[in-house]
Amino acid sequence: MADKRDMVQIESLEKYFGEDKDRVHVLKGITLRIPEGSLYTFLGPSGCGKTTTLRCVAGLERPDGGRISIDGHTVFASGERVYVPTNKRPIGMVFQSYAIWPHMTVAENVAYPLTIQRRRKDEIKKRVSDVLKVVGLDGLEDRPAPKLSGGQQQRVAFARALVNEPKVMLLDEPLSNLDAKLRVQMRSEIKSLQRRTSITTIFVTHDQAEALAISDQIAVMHGGKLIEVGSPHQLYTRPTRKFTATFLGLTNLIEGKVVDVDGDSRPGKLQTKKGLLSFIPATPLKKDQAAVISIRPENIPLHKVKPEGLDNVLEGTVKEAIFMGDAYQCKVAVGDDVLAVHTHPFNAVHPGDKVYLHLDPGSCNGLPADDTEGVDETMLGD
Amino acid sequence: MRRFNSQTLILIGATLFVLYLAGVPLLMLLYGSIRSAPIGEPGAAYTLDNYIKAYFDKEFYLLLLNSIYYGLGTCALTFVIGTYLAWVSERTNTPFKKIFVVMSLIPFIIPGILSTISWILLLSPKIGLINLVVKDVLGLESAPFNVYSMWGMIWAESIHLYPLVFLLMSAAFRNMDTSLEEAALTAGSSTLTTLWRVTLPLMRPAMFSVLLINFVRGIEAFEVPALIGVPAKISVFTTKIFLAIHQFPSDFGLAGAYAVTLLAISTTGVIIYGRITRREERYATVTGKGYRPRVIDLGAWKYFTLGISVLIFLLAVILPVFVLLWSSFIPYYGVPSRELMAKMTVANYQYILNYPLALTAFKNSFYLSVGSATLVMLLTSIIAWITVKTRLPGRALLDNMTFIPIAMPGIVLGVSLIWVYLTLPSFVKNYFGEYASKPFEIYGTIWVLLLAYMTKFMPYGIRAASASMIQINKELEEASLAAGGTWFQTFRKVILPLLMPGFTAGWIYISIIALRELSTSILLYSYNSTVLSIMAFDLWEGGQYTYVCALGVLMVLLLITMAFVARKLGARIGIAE
Repeated sequence: MADKRDMVQIESLEKYFGEDKDRVHVLKGITLRIPEGSLYTFLGPSGCGKTTTLRCVAGLERPDGGRISIDGHTVFASGERVYVPTNKRPIGMVFQSYAIWPHMTVAENVAYPLTIQRRRKDEIKKRVSDVLKVVGLDGLEDRPAPKLSGGQQQRVAFARALVNEPKVMLLDEPLSNLDAKLRVQMRSEIKSLQRRTSITTIFVTHDQAEALAISDQIAVMHGGKLIEVGSPHQLYTRPTRKFTATFLGLTNLIEGKVVDVDGDSRPGKLQTKKGLLSFIPATPLKKDQAAVISIRPENIPLHKVKPEGLDNVLEGTVKEAIFMGDAYQCKVAVGDDVLAVHTHPFNAVHPGDKVYLHLDPGSCNGLPADDTEGVDETMLGD
Repeated sequence: MRRFNSQTLILIGATLFVLYLAGVPLLMLLYGSIRSAPIGEPGAAYTLDNYIKAYFDKEFYLLLLNSIYYGLGTCALTFVIGTYLAWVSERTNTPFKKIFVVMSLIPFIIPGILSTISWILLLSPKIGLINLVVKDVLGLESAPFNVYSMWGMIWAESIHLYPLVFLLMSAAFRNMDTSLEEAALTAGSSTLTTLWRVTLPLMRPAMFSVLLINFVRGIEAFEVPALIGVPAKISVFTTKIFLAIHQFPSDFGLAGAYAVTLLAISTTGVIIYGRITRREERYATVTGKGYRPRVIDLGAWKYFTLGISVLIFLLAVILPVFVLLWSSFIPYYGVPSRELMAKMTVANYQYILNYPLALTAFKNSFYLSVGSATLVMLLTSIIAWITVKTRLPGRALLDNMTFIPIAMPGIVLGVSLIWVYLTLPSFVKNYFGEYASKPFEIYGTIWVLLLAYMTKFMPYGIRAASASMIQINKELEEASLAAGGTWFQTFRKVILPLLMPGFTAGWIYISIIALRELSTSILLYSYNSTVLSIMAFDLWEGGQYTYVCALGVLMVLLLITMAFVARKLGARIGIAE
């Protein structure tokens, strides 16, 4: 894994939309390295710049600054005035609307990248039928494109992007037009397809569950900036940024001031309204710095009797307990705050119960509170 | 590093060609309007007298009012009829609707000069068939209708022009993503509310371009104002210009000043149009998801919509066609009677087919109409792509330039082109030598007519092409680029086929108006380049009503064949219907 080379490199990418007064700064120096053969996800809320970054890689948008290279070849460099047009880049792309040409059949759509290169007829035929088999559409060659279901259209879009054996596959929210069941099915198909072909794939989505399920690496973006990059496990369990912690999954934030800290992996102490709490810093924190503890609802054991000899125990009252089958989703009032806690279904709780919450220091992720780097307040509106 | 790519070269090529087609005659027009004598005549000087003479004449304002009244009346009436029929045929389950698709094209196919004649033959107070019958049935003293009035003119013009609205609106209805409508229906809105709140607003770009075209078409119309307006003493700009040139001596300068005024009016229209359609993405209604036309079940109302359609059909098609057909088979004009029926004959047709120039005129008209329609649609599809889909600098100018000729009444375009091709060859010869001037020595040939037609019909081509272009989702062409297609491959394999419905509609329209073109041809034709409409005009001037009608029927047959073939071919290349 470690010595894998980078298939796509993006350096200090800048992009503006509009002119003069209406100019909006949409990409603010994005720098990324995408390892060969990985499934790499751009994740963020709408307007964060993820699609724009993808379109810059495709060459469909022309950046205003920075550099992009694919497979070691520079395809865009603002200083050197290099700009390789989309059709000369070794890419395959699946669009959000799939962009299946309605005037062609399935085979014609898929064969298109080969036809325009004037490949031999029998070669085209073979490749098309091979790739249709891969996406599970064999036998539908002569179906006119408008007569396809959403899932089939998506497979056609994939086949069309795959047929030319691209170096990089670009997927622009390809699952957002599908129903939930199909979405789950297609996302595992995408993943296994990517595993089999081991084509470097960039996947754009705003859906964090999708990103966690599918990716090797996730780049979390917000307000035109890169917030953090990591594996799904890393980002979920040990995010280093407050935005990542809140955007990926559900979390509880407890604010306070650092009173004691020693290195970044050993426990520190945070003075909060609920008393002194221990935590593990996710990123270097200084003494007296404003910080937050982020703890996931499923990591908070709930006790009916006050546990003895444990740190970080808070007393609270159950406000709400919703039985979900696999868990009780509880809202527990602790002082002025309400914490979300998920408990095992055997551990029945009822509103009004007095309970004790154990915030295991190992699960308490310490993050800087004033973490606004890259989080542009004006972008939060959309 | 960055070289000229094909896109830039095509842009430059298209721009130069459009500049030549539209810009040169325009310059000649503007130049001529500030000269005291026609170009080439000695002693000419710069002057504003033409404008002073035009604007300080009280008649000018009457003219302006008449023209606007006529233009607005025409565009309103054609819009209502055309949109109604398009909606009925594309979106409702009205019985026999497919028949209307074919039938409602008929008045469009009838050349303007003939449809004007047919309405004179139907609504003239003295000889009008409708008047005579209604008077007889109701026992009236005087004729109830008078074609020689403003409303008579608007009516005759609208019946002639509404099929354009029908064609363009049908294409727009057909290309719309119906899930947008279905979304409204599921949101609880009724069929009618959906039509009003969703369908029509979505079609706004198409609608405004249609209204704009028809207003300007009305204002620059020549046949109806010449044949009805002049005897009725209702003057509009075009007839005033025509008379200024046809008086002796011709007043080219004054005609130019009037034409420049017309240009100003239509330029205003273009600017308004540009403002409205700038938000193109909002209206991109064809997506890659594949669209299926959705038909609204009208229930019992379908008989009501059928009834209205039949009424329109009766008025717009049956009556004019009947009067033309009837007149083409009788030896002298008269109300149908048993006596005249007995005298029916094909002598008129024999006369036309043996007419010395008939074969030349048929051939010329056919070549010109097919040639100009094809060339214009190819050129304007490229231009529409540039103006709608790219961010190349200068694209707005290109769009406006392509639209300029719409402001040039046919008669003035004719005059400008006489000037251009009488002066250009010697100018080129002086500067670039004899060899270079050869391509410009086309005065009096069919080539000058071809260039004139291309100039004149470019605006219709660009409207049809950009209306369809606006509706093609960007991702469909981006997908082609991402698949490795060059710009040209993308244009040929993706954009052109998707444009095919609009392309075909535009082609049919242009080939038809080219075949009946009169007002420009009348100043540019020579013996060898005679066209059918000129032949018809000559016969009408000679008072040979029955011969004109026979010629007209033959022209219409030719046109129907062409439109039919175009639709078949269009369907084969584009999206199968």
